[in-house]
Amino acid sequence: MINPAHESTDVTRELFQNFSTGGIVLFYIFGFLALGVFAWGCYLQIRKYRRGVADGSWADLARRTRDLVVTMLSHRTLRRRDAAAGRAHAAIFFGFALLFIGTSLIFIDYDILGPLGLSFWHGEFYLLFQLTLDLAGLALIVGLVYMMVRRGWIKPPKLDYRRPDREPGEPDADRSRYRIEDWAFLWALVIIGITGFLLNGSRKLWLIDDPLVWDYRWWTPVGTSIAYMLSGLGLSSEGAGVLRTATWWFHGVLALAFIAVIPFTKVKHIFTAGGSLMLRDPLAAQRLPKLPEDGEDAGYGKITDFSRKHLLHLDACTKCGRCHEACPANASGLPLSPRDLILTLREFAHEQIEGRTVDADGLVVHGDGVNQVRAETLWSCRTCMACVEICPVAIEHVPIIVQMRRWLVEQGEMDPMLQGTLQKIQKRGNSFGEAKRKRGKWADELDFPVKDARKEPVDFLWFVGDYASFDPRNQSVTRDFARILEHAGVDFGILYDAEQNAGNDVRRVGEEGLYELLAENNIASLDGAEFERVVTTDPHSLNTIRNEYPQFGGQYQIYHYTSLLKQLIEQGRLQFSKQLGYRVTYHDPCHLGRFNRGFDAPRFVMQALGLDLVEMERSGENSFCCGAGGGRIWMADPPGKEKPAENRMHEAARIEGLEVFVVACPKDLTMFEDALKTAGYEGQFVVKELNELVAEALALDKQATEAA
Amino acid sequence: MKILVPVKQAALVEDDFELRDDGRDVDPDFVDLQLNEWDDYSLETALQLKESHDGIEVVAVTVGDDDAEDALRTCLAKGADRAIRVWDDELGDADPVVIARVLAAVAQRETPDLVLAGTQSSDLGFSATGVAMATFMGWPHAAVVVALDYSPGAATATVERELEGGLRQRLEIDCPAVLTIQLGINTPRYASLRGIKQARSLPVEELTPEDLGLEAQDVGEQACGARVRKMYLPEKGQAEMIEGTPAQQAERIAAIVKEVMGG
Ligand code: SF4
Ligand code: SF4
Repeated sequence: MINPAHESTDVTRELFQNFSTGGIVLFYIFGFLALGVFAWGCYLQIRKYRRGVADGSWADLARRTRDLVVTMLSHRTLRRRDAAAGRAHAAIFFGFALLFIGTSLIFIDYDILGPLGLSFWHGEFYLLFQLTLDLAGLALIVGLVYMMVRRGWIKPPKLDYRRPDREPGEPDADRSRYRIEDWAFLWALVIIGITGFLLNGSRKLWLIDDPLVWDYRWWTPVGTSIAYMLSGLGLSSEGAGVLRTATWWFHGVLALAFIAVIPFTKVKHIFTAGGSLMLRDPLAAQRLPKLPEDGEDAGYGKITDFSRKHLLHLDACTKCGRCHEACPANASGLPLSPRDLILTLREFAHEQIEGRTVDADGLVVHGDGVNQVRAETLWSCRTCMACVEICPVAIEHVPIIVQMRRWLVEQGEMDPMLQGTLQKIQKRGNSFGEAKRKRGKWADELDFPVKDARKEPVDFLWFVGDYASFDPRNQSVTRDFARILEHAGVDFGILYDAEQNAGNDVRRVGEEGLYELLAENNIASLDGAEFERVVTTDPHSLNTIRNEYPQFGGQYQIYHYTSLLKQLIEQGRLQFSKQLGYRVTYHDPCHLGRFNRGFDAPRFVMQALGLDLVEMERSGENSFCCGAGGGRIWMADPPGKEKPAENRMHEAARIEGLEVFVVACPKDLTMFEDALKTAGYEGQFVVKELNELVAEALALDKQATEAA
Repeated sequence: MKILVPVKQAALVEDDFELRDDGRDVDPDFVDLQLNEWDDYSLETALQLKESHDGIEVVAVTVGDDDAEDALRTCLAKGADRAIRVWDDELGDADPVVIARVLAAVAQRETPDLVLAGTQSSDLGFSATGVAMATFMGWPHAAVVVALDYSPGAATATVERELEGGLRQRLEIDCPAVLTIQLGINTPRYASLRGIKQARSLPVEELTPEDLGLEAQDVGEQACGARVRKMYLPEKGQAEMIEGTPAQQAERIAAIVKEVMGG
C-alpha cells in the first residue's frame, strides 16, 4: 500500500493546511458555538420529557441496548413492507454513521491523542479510512437522492400529510411545514455530502504535485474522479486551491449548523428514534399498563400525565406513514390516523411544555382546539395493533390511545351505545345483558353433559367468552368445538355462571375500574376450580388472560383452540375421514395473530383438513382488522362509509374461485357474516369458523344432536 | 343556588323471571337494580347547569332501603355534590304519592331553587312522583320536559314539553318549580366503576321520615291511596309466524281465515 519511499506517518492529511491562525480560531469558535446550541437544544428536549411521569421503562438496560443495536444494524423494522425505502435509509444511515465516526476519530487523533504523541491517523489505517469514508459519502448521497425521487416523483400516498381528523381549512389542518422541513433536511444533507466530495476533489487537484497526496489518490475514488472532472473543466491547481478554501468553509459551517439544529428539527429522530427503540416494550399493546393504586385521576388527560417514554415517542415519529397506511380506522374514512395522533400530540407538547415555564391551565390534550385530540378520534380506534406492529421506531399508539380513553371514560364521555353495554357488563358480567345463569345454556343442546369445572376437576378449563356463549350463531360453533373435544376424548369443563366477560375489550375501551373487577372475579373463579390448562376459542379472552391477568395475580397456561387442535392432530387423536378440498382464505384475528403470534396453528389445521389455502394480500402480521376490536363492536360504525370488514371482503373476493372465508374468532364470524352481505358477496363464498370445518371433516353429525 | 334531583333505584327484570310468592311483585332473584333511566337525564340536566354556571349545588335524594344507596353513589360519581337517603321500613309499600310527600319534606328542608325529577320510573312507570311533589309544595310544574333554558337566579325558566304527535309546547314557568325530565333531553354521562368506587368514600346523609317531621300516619300503609294487589303476565295472544314460499304462505293464510271465519 505505502510506497517504501514514504514514511508511513507522512501519509496522512494535514489538517488546516495553509490556514491562518485567525481562520483556525474562527473555525473553533463556530465549532463550539454549534456544540453549545446542540447541547442547549438537547437540554430543552430532555427538560420537556422530564415533565412527564417517570416510569420503569429503563429497567434491563443491557438487553435493551443489545436489541437496539441489532435493530439498527439490521434495519429490520425499516425494511418491512417498504424494502426500497429501507435500503435507502440504510445507505443514509450507514453513510452518515461512518462519516460521523470518521470525523470523530479525526477529532480524537488531532485534538486529544496527537498532542500526547499517540497519533494513529496515518499510513495504512489512513488509506483504508479514506476509502471507507469515500464510499460512505457515496452511499449517503445515493440514499438521499432515492428519498428525493420518492418524495418528488413516486409520491406514495402514505407520505401525503392529509389528516383524516381535520377538515381542510381548520387552523391546524395544514402540515405543509413538515413538507418544507423534509425537503430542507434532504437538501442540507445532500449538499453537505456533495461539498464534501468537492472539497476532497479540489484539495487533490490543489496538491497534485505532492506525491504524498497524489500517489494515493485512488483511495478516494469518488473524490479523485471529481478532481479529474475539475481539471477537465480547465481548473488550474491554484484555482483548485481557492475552490478548496471556499468549499472548506462552506462545507464546515454547513455541517456544524446541521449539528446545531439537530435537537430542533426532524433530525433529532437520530436520537429519539434510537431511544424509543431502546425502550421498546414487546407487549405494549397486549398488556396495557395498570393504573397506580392511589391515583386520583385515571389515564392521560393532561400532556404532563404522559409517561416520559410516551413523550419521547411523540418526538420519535419520523412521519413514515406506515401506521397511517395500515390503520383500519383511517382506511374506513374515520377521523383517526395513528400518525396524525402522534404528530398532534407532538405539536401540543412542543407548544405547552417545551418552554421555560408551564401554564398549568393549558395542559389538557382533549378537546376541539388547536393541536388537541378530539374524542371521536380516540373512539375510532380498534386497538388492532397494526400501527404498533409496523412502526419502525417502536411507538406505542395503542397504550397511548387507551390511556387517553381512560380519561374520557372517567369524564363520562362516550357513545351512548357503549355506555349501555358497559352498564350491562357492570350489572350482569356480560355484554349481552343476559342473566348470568344463562351463560352455559348453549350446552343444553348437546347430547352429552359438559362438566361443571366449579364442581369437579378437569384437564382443560374452557373459558368460553361472551360471544361464544350468548350469540346464537356463535353458539352453534361453540357446540361444534365441544363435540370435537368430546370426540378427541379431551377432559374439559366450563365455569358456567361463574365466568364473566374476560375484560379484554373493556380494558381497551378504557374502563379500567370495570376491567379490574372482571379480572378479579374471573381470577377468583379460575382459582376456585381445579384444572391443568385453559383453552378458549376467543382470541380476546386469550390475550387478556395470558398477558394481563398476571398483573392481578392470575397465572395460567392458556391456549387458543387452534393450538389445541394442532396438538390433537399431531397426537393422532383427531383423524379426518375426509379431506375437504375447498379453496379457502384465512383471516388472522388481531388478538391471535399480531397480539399472540398464533399464525401457524390455524394454518396447520387447515392443511390437515385438506383445504386449499390462498392467502390474502394482507395476512399474518399484516392482517387487516375486522373492525370489532377496542370495544368498537359495541358502537355503531357511521353509515355511508366502507367498514373495515367490508374492505376485507373485497380483498378476499379478489381470490379467484374462493369458496370459504375462514375465521378463528367469534367476533370475526359476526363481523364478516354481516359484511359478506353488505359488501354484496352473499352466494359467492361463505364465512366459516374453523371449528365448523373441523366438525365437517370429522363428520360429527350436527343435525342429529342439535335436533335431539 | 341549589338543584334537588330526586332519583330512584329501579328494578331491571330478567327476560325469564318468576313472581314473588305473594304474587305482588317479581321475585328479587330475577331482578337487577339500577338508577332509573329517566333520572340519568334529570341528573345530567342538573350537572350541565352546574358546569355552565358558578355556585350551583346539586343534591341527589332518594327514598329507598340500603340497596338504593347504589343509585346515590352513581349520582355522586357523576358529579352530584351531596346525597340524601330517606328510609323507614314503614315505607315498604309506599305509593308514589307517599314518596312525593317524603320528597317534598326533603325539599322543604333543603330549600332548592329547582327540582328536576325524571318523567317516570323505568320499572313501575306511574309518572306521578314529581308531579305530586309539586302539588305538596305548592310549586308550579311542567312534565315531559325535553328542553330547558334557565339561568340561576332568574324568576322564570323556559321549558319545552313533548306532546303527542311530535308536537312541542314551549312555556315559561315561574321558579322555583318542579320539572320532570324526558329521555333524550341530553346525553347522560357514564359513571365509571372507579368513579363509583371513589364515591363510596363520600358521605350519604341518612334520614327517617321522622327526622323530616313526618308522622307515621303520613307515610305508613294507611297513607297510601293505592295498593298493589297482584302482578301477573296476561295470557299471550295468538300469534303465529308464517314461513315458506309466498305460495305456501298464502295457502296457510287462507287456511287460517277459513278456520277463524268458520267457513
Ligand atoms: S390500533 Fe389499529 S385502529 Fe387503532 S390506531 Fe392503530 S392501526 Fe388504527
Ligand atoms: S408513528 Fe411510527 S409508523 Fe407511524 S408515521 Fe410515525 S414513525 Fe411511521
